[in-house]
Amino acid sequence: MSIELDNPQIEFSSILASSVHEMKNSLSMLINYLDSVIEHFEKDRDSDVKLLSQLQYNAKHVNNNLMQLLALYRLENSLYSLNIGYNSVAELVDELIIQNKTLMDYKGIALEIDIDNNMYWFFDKDLLAGSLNSIINNSFKYTKDLIRISAYETDAYLNFCIEDNGVGYPPHMLQDGRRKESSISFKTGNTGLGLYFSTMVARFHKNREREGYITLNNSSRYGGGCFCISLP
Amino acid sequence: MVMYDRRNELIHKRVLIVDDYSEFRYSVKKMLQSFGMTDIDDVGDGDDAIERMSLKPYDIVLCDYNLGEGKRDGQQILEEAKHRELLRYNSMFIMITAENTMAMVMGAMEYKPDDYLTKPFTKDALKNRLDKILERKKEFEPIEKAVYHKDFLTAINLCNERINNKPRNIFDYLRWKADLCVTVGDYDEAKKIYEDVLVIRKLQWATLGLGKIYFLKGQYVDAIPLFQDLISENKTLMEAYDWLSKSYEESGASNEAQKTLMNASEISPKAILRQKTLAQIALKNKDIGTAEKSLKAAVDLGKKSCFKTPSDYTSLAKIYIEKKKPEKALDILGDSRGTFTNSPEANLQAAVVEGLAYREMGNTEAAQNALDEASQIFDFVKGSVSAEVSMDVAKSFFALGDADKGNKLMENIIKNNHDNEKVIKMAEEVFKDANMQEEGQKMITETKQEIVRINNDGVALVQKGRLKDAIEYFEKAASGLPENKIINANAAQANIMYMQKYGKNENLMLQTRTYLEQIRKVDPSYEKYQNLLFTYQKIVNKP
Repeated sequence: MSIELDNPQIEFSSILASSVHEMKNSLSMLINYLDSVIEHFEKDRDSDVKLLSQLQYNAKHVNNNLMQLLALYRLENSLYSLNIGYNSVAELVDELIIQNKTLMDYKGIALEIDIDNNMYWFFDKDLLAGSLNSIINNSFKYTKDLIRISAYETDAYLNFCIEDNGVGYPPHMLQDGRRKESSISFKTGNTGLGLYFSTMVARFHKNREREGYITLNNSSRYGGGCFCISLP
Repeated sequence: MVMYDRRNELIHKRVLIVDDYSEFRYSVKKMLQSFGMTDIDDVGDGDDAIERMSLKPYDIVLCDYNLGEGKRDGQQILEEAKHRELLRYNSMFIMITAENTMAMVMGAMEYKPDDYLTKPFTKDALKNRLDKILERKKEFEPIEKAVYHKDFLTAINLCNERINNKPRNIFDYLRWKADLCVTVGDYDEAKKIYEDVLVIRKLQWATLGLGKIYFLKGQYVDAIPLFQDLISENKTLMEAYDWLSKSYEESGASNEAQKTLMNASEISPKAILRQKTLAQIALKNKDIGTAEKSLKAAVDLGKKSCFKTPSDYTSLAKIYIEKKKPEKALDILGDSRGTFTNSPEANLQAAVVEGLAYREMGNTEAAQNALDEASQIFDFVKGSVSAEVSMDVAKSFFALGDADKGNKLMENIIKNNHDNEKVIKMAEEVFKDANMQEEGQKMITETKQEIVRINNDGVALVQKGRLKDAIEYFEKAASGLPENKIINANAAQANIMYMQKYGKNENLMLQTRTYLEQIRKVDPSYEKYQNLLFTYQKIVNKP
């Protein structure tokens, strides 16, 4: 393969894209096989499916990270066209739940949903799904046994919140998105890719003068952490 | 929670899975089988996919985008399937991608898949998605059906009905309606929709739509900043580049037009149609280097695309002749003959340019042979060649000194486009280049007069109330002048008047639709077309 450097940005993007494609084909098989293995062992009450679901969790985590890396690369180099549509909020959450259901069942995590079926909002489906997916995956690690997903409108913003009943975010990570300074930074090493990605996703959602933001606090009604992404 | 159970509907669907990884195909097949589906085929590349689709009407095609180096990709398969009408309006094409951020970079608007699915996905996710698409397809089916039958006014009425109910997804219907209004040339209504939407939210499709309206109304100064703005916000919104370039070209800034397409081709080099357009603009700008590069790309991409045309090869051959490399021209023309076997039009194009190449080599005998072949094919195909190709062939005939054949071709072009300023202007250029300005002008004037006479004779029959004769008269006139909008419009009108007087008639309805569709292709904003479409619809709606 010859590499022309007339436009290194696009060239690197396509190398990244094609290697992600390759990696994801393998991951895809890995995850699908795990699914069938889990299904197979499900019937055997004594087997320790939990171990397998741990494998599944990690495979999905790698997959999410790959997607976010590529999306971030494209966003930062304006190689991504934001595709804002007027979408159903419930449908987006449906897909999220379906993707994560097996895992939640095996981890014994209960799910509480508070979303109006008729709610529609302006957002980029793929980006928002990517963000919420990684936050939910994070919650798996920190929650005791409950995750709550809710969506509501305030001051012409859609607020998407994911909360749990774990120990909550450490104090240095808390932030109020409406204030400009953000505690999310890779330089201080205090954050994961998922939160960074979510911050970017929020910022890319603009409506005239207003911009999206994220909020992290520990005011969950169940005592744990609460993540909210708010989009104008 | 919104829950759909479409199990029974899915069961009988015919599915085609396209992916280069057999393991992946196997696992998707397993998933589909677990939903109770049984009619599942799978193939590993685009050629096989197209072949299967031409033999069997699939309800669902699950197609991977990336099918390996040097192979047709998912977008090319979709384009060919739509172009060759291998997909019905109610079948679904789902593009499977490795990343979720590439949807917008691919393809033109009319060749969009019904949905994207990101690898990897679980069984449940696939089921959920299929159900949702099925649901959506059902909701839009009456509109898609009307569009498929080119019954655009019915489709617009359906949109209006839905919009009046203020559904949650009202923006989908507004978008449909605006698109349809553009299709039938009702630019004012479309503009109003786009502007109304933009007041609520700055949505890409609405901005793009508004820009298109400005373009179609000839307001290039208003169109250009809109497209520029879209591109500055979305570097990969390829459609905006195409419209920006068109707007530049129409407003006379052909260098900017070329630059815009060059930028676009760098981002999305696999778009064959854009490479062709770029080549044409570059030729106009006398930038032979860029034209050669784009034509080479077009020929290359054409090997895996339904959009290949003989003109890609002949244009490239002409460049080689101009660069004094006639041997290379002959090579590429040989490729063309090998690619488009059994196409008289392609052989005609190749033969005339071969004549030019041999002349450049000083081989008068071979040049004459090529010309003879061209003449023979020309007599055989007569007027069935498109205006663009005809003009190109005419040019070559003039260059080779066969003014007779050239004139015949030109006359036919002028007849079909006597009121199309753009084509007439191009024709004048051809005559000018051939040093036949005076003759050309005379031909244009006379041909125009002839058309007016033909038309008036038909109109006179209508005025005398001899509707049956008028219908017959215009039927003959329209078959000889398929691209002439006035003749087609009057032919449609004679039919409509007849039906208004004597009632609906299946044959006349079908014929009228053909005339109307013919006008729409040439000029959807033609005022008479709008009126005819409206009165025709009234007849359709009559019990």
